[in-house]
Amino acid sequence: MRTHHRGRAVIAALSVAALAVASSVSGAVAQDRTLRIAMGSPGEAGIRVWEAIGAQFEAANPGVTVDIEFMDDDLYQTIGLPQLLASPNAPDIYFEWTGSRMAQRAADGYAADLTEAVASGPLAGLLDDELFAAATLDGKIVLFPHTADVTNVLWYNVPLFAEHGLTPPTTFEELLAVCDAFVAADIIPIATGNKDLWAAGNWLSHMASRVVGEDVYDATLAAGGPFNTPEWEQAFGYIAQLREHSCVNESANAIADNEGAQLFFQGSAAMHPIGSWLVSWAIDEAPDLEFDFVNLPAMPEGSAGDQGSAIGVETGYMVNANSQVQDLAVEFLALMNSPENVKAYVAAEIVPLARSVADAGVDGRSLRLGELLAGAPAVVLPPDTGYDLEMANALYAAEAAVLGGQATPAAALAALDQQLAR
Amino acid sequence: MRPDRRVAPWLFLAPGLVVFSVAVLLPMVLTVGFSFTEWNGFGAMTFVGLDNYVRAFHDTFLRASFLHVIVYIAATLVLEVLVGLCLAGLVSMRRGRLWFRVAIFTPVMLPMVVVAVLWAFVYNPDFGLLNGALEAMGLAGLQRIWLGDPSVALLAISVVSGWVYAGFYMMIFYAAFRQVPSDIIEAARLDGAGEWSIFRRVKVPMIRGAVGVAVLLCVTGGFQGFDLFFVMTNGGPYGSTEIPTTLLVRTVFRHADVGYGSAMAVVLTAVVVTCGLAYAQLQVRRTRGAAR
Amino acid sequence: MSGARARWSFPQLLVTLGLLLIAVVFFFPMIWMVMNSFKTNQAIFRTPFALPESIDFDRWIKAWEVGHIGQYALNSAIVTGVSVAAILVIAASAAFAFSRYRFPGRSLALGLFALGLLLPLQSYFIAQSTMFRQVGILDTRWALIIPYIAMGLPLAVYLLKVYLDALPEELFEAAHIDGASDLRVFGSLAMPLLRPGLATVAIFSALACWNEFLLALLYIQDDRLKTIPTGLLAFSSRYVTDYSLLFSALSIITIPMVVIYVVFNRQIVEGITAGSVK
Repeated sequence: MRTHHRGRAVIAALSVAALAVASSVSGAVAQDRTLRIAMGSPGEAGIRVWEAIGAQFEAANPGVTVDIEFMDDDLYQTIGLPQLLASPNAPDIYFEWTGSRMAQRAADGYAADLTEAVASGPLAGLLDDELFAAATLDGKIVLFPHTADVTNVLWYNVPLFAEHGLTPPTTFEELLAVCDAFVAADIIPIATGNKDLWAAGNWLSHMASRVVGEDVYDATLAAGGPFNTPEWEQAFGYIAQLREHSCVNESANAIADNEGAQLFFQGSAAMHPIGSWLVSWAIDEAPDLEFDFVNLPAMPEGSAGDQGSAIGVETGYMVNANSQVQDLAVEFLALMNSPENVKAYVAAEIVPLARSVADAGVDGRSLRLGELLAGAPAVVLPPDTGYDLEMANALYAAEAAVLGGQATPAAALAALDQQLAR
Repeated sequence: MRPDRRVAPWLFLAPGLVVFSVAVLLPMVLTVGFSFTEWNGFGAMTFVGLDNYVRAFHDTFLRASFLHVIVYIAATLVLEVLVGLCLAGLVSMRRGRLWFRVAIFTPVMLPMVVVAVLWAFVYNPDFGLLNGALEAMGLAGLQRIWLGDPSVALLAISVVSGWVYAGFYMMIFYAAFRQVPSDIIEAARLDGAGEWSIFRRVKVPMIRGAVGVAVLLCVTGGFQGFDLFFVMTNGGPYGSTEIPTTLLVRTVFRHADVGYGSAMAVVLTAVVVTCGLAYAQLQVRRTRGAAR
Repeated sequence: MSGARARWSFPQLLVTLGLLLIAVVFFFPMIWMVMNSFKTNQAIFRTPFALPESIDFDRWIKAWEVGHIGQYALNSAIVTGVSVAAILVIAASAAFAFSRYRFPGRSLALGLFALGLLLPLQSYFIAQSTMFRQVGILDTRWALIIPYIAMGLPLAVYLLKVYLDALPEELFEAAHIDGASDLRVFGSLAMPLLRPGLATVAIFSALACWNEFLLALLYIQDDRLKTIPTGLLAFSSRYVTDYSLLFSALSIITIPMVVIYVVFNRQIVEGITAGSVK
């Protein structure tokens, strides 16, 4: 009997619940003047700035709701954004990297033409003209640049280096020596969280570009091969040397990029090769940690590239061509670049490209990061944003295999070519 | 007016048939259609005949993914079905022990994503429960980077699957053991058989049907695995936990290669359906044999 | 029930102790999870096995608030509730047709549902996502409810048909002689008699919908519509290094399900095993 009662109770509860919620089934939220914005998560400090700008915009435009979606980076880059664009609640403004990804969005019909707005509309005069070169397709501006990310420098823990009497490495040989010293002191030399492959992949690709030379790097990645050449084998040989010197944490494959950052923040690792966003993350994650950066150490004699090169990409926001509120979207982009908001970004260690940044009091590491990119004798593009994503993933996987001692440079490169050949 | 007797059943069937056809059958047929094309999901679709299948046949990654899922299935047959069978044997030795059955079944209730996130912590190299426990027991030599080491990652995921489903299979076998007539067991006991030999020679042979069902569930379920793999390793390290579903999700939704991904889906479906049909055939033959 | 009452013997005691040990080891990950939810990040790193210094629900409250767990749970409840209600009605009606009528095309229709029992999700979700994109229901709750209903139907139809087949024919004949319409026979006679079967179907369908991940991952990107599995994933990638917050979120999600399970364990176990075996 008791079982029966319970069974009945379950059904009763379920049907009550079903009735109660049936009215709210349709998830499509009312369409009246909502401005939707989508991006990969900029970290907690960055999220606060975005939400504040959203509130300003709502206050200035009664009846408009600003709705910002912060997605996991890797998810945003792969499944998230394409699916989001195809949904009925598609974003009106979305983050994108310049390069092949931006071109793909335009080809799929998701890029509004911003040329007018930049020439004579609300976006006029906010940025220097040369910044639009990377944001222009067929003579039309399709992206409004926001920041220029250095995607890889070598961050280091200042007190740890001082404690062991070491100086930050400027050459590959010095890097290996520093690694040896830290290994001897039982400290992880370099932390990386490479579960999603891009974290170390971006770093090692920068290294490779220094060895094979920027031209060969660009030509090979653009054509999707061939990689099995003496130059690339030489480049991958240096990755194998990192392995031989136990430079990288053993857990690299098992942890995500931000867990890798955590090893660095916790002081378990002395160095961390990652992009400029680390400064902004550290505001919440490691407010007391004293850390600084050097550009990727120069590769040894016999390398073809410019040893002062930087790796980086201009990023910005595109307006969805299918958006019903493109005017609002443009207004929002303008508000993002107002002098006050530029200051707010700078306070969160995100340095916009807007002209007014000169008055925003950028200092310390962020200023030098900006100078690094602006002053670099050569800039290479990250494989996963500048080139075909599938090719980039294959390259990253090959680099990870060599870094992890799974394959010799020659074997990894041969397999890579074979994979890309079909 | 009473509806015509010939129309009435179709009226009752209509909602189910419509939903099932629109949401499952039609997309299944379309997926087969896509598999003969090259398509990125947006632009023009090009008919390429059997090219995708030829490519699948030569694709070492796809082959490796099937190998991985077969290893995973073999491991889960042991960790879920065999462990479940042994646990069921232990709890059915005497009445009671309800607390144990209730406890071991608990993880079945949890979303696999929750399980995956929890176990990623258990395996965490920096503060994980497993490495910590090994150290506490003086077995630090056995510590591993469980999800970062290609030689153990697949097994580590299989263990999580076992943690979830061992209790589930235990329940199935427990229910089956209760159907075994107690006089047969008593007779064996009077003959001086020990508990182990009663388990092996009397009880397990009597529930062969339930074991068959369990094996089928474990095999077909294993081919469809995704959640644990996606969350815990996403195919890594070095592709050592890449299974067909993670590969095809990546192919379709990351590389926008809808045609080739569809061909993979068709191959996977063929394997699963074949396993199911082979099992049904086996059951039919067995019941016929029993009837004779 | 008394015949098998064995005396306590040493080997039996040993088995019980063994089972207790297994249960403790088995439960340890969950206990550890709750323990860690009360610790700071540093304590989690430094002393993984120590008991928390104090039981403080601050982190739980923060996880609930910043993690939108309430929203995710509500979304899961809506999607699950609607899907299960629809599965019950639609499947019962189809099972009624199969059980009470002989008509041309019956075995073909039955065969279609039988195929549904075998088909993996992978056989149709690629084209399903393109279809949903075309009709513009991606990122709405319908994108989950429709496939969940369709996926739940085959097994539900089969189970309910078995229940209906077992009912005595005379009941239905009597009703027909009394002049009841087919719809009335279904609604007032078959449905009430089916109650135990419906409960079983409700339990395993509800659990399947509540826990489904792959489609939810691919079809729902809007954070306000995410269900618990994808919501937790979003949460865990945003706060991936705030471990105590994550352990709190995991605890908040896990504990109510364990409580529900302990209260209704018999029905749930029966429902789930019946749902997979028959």
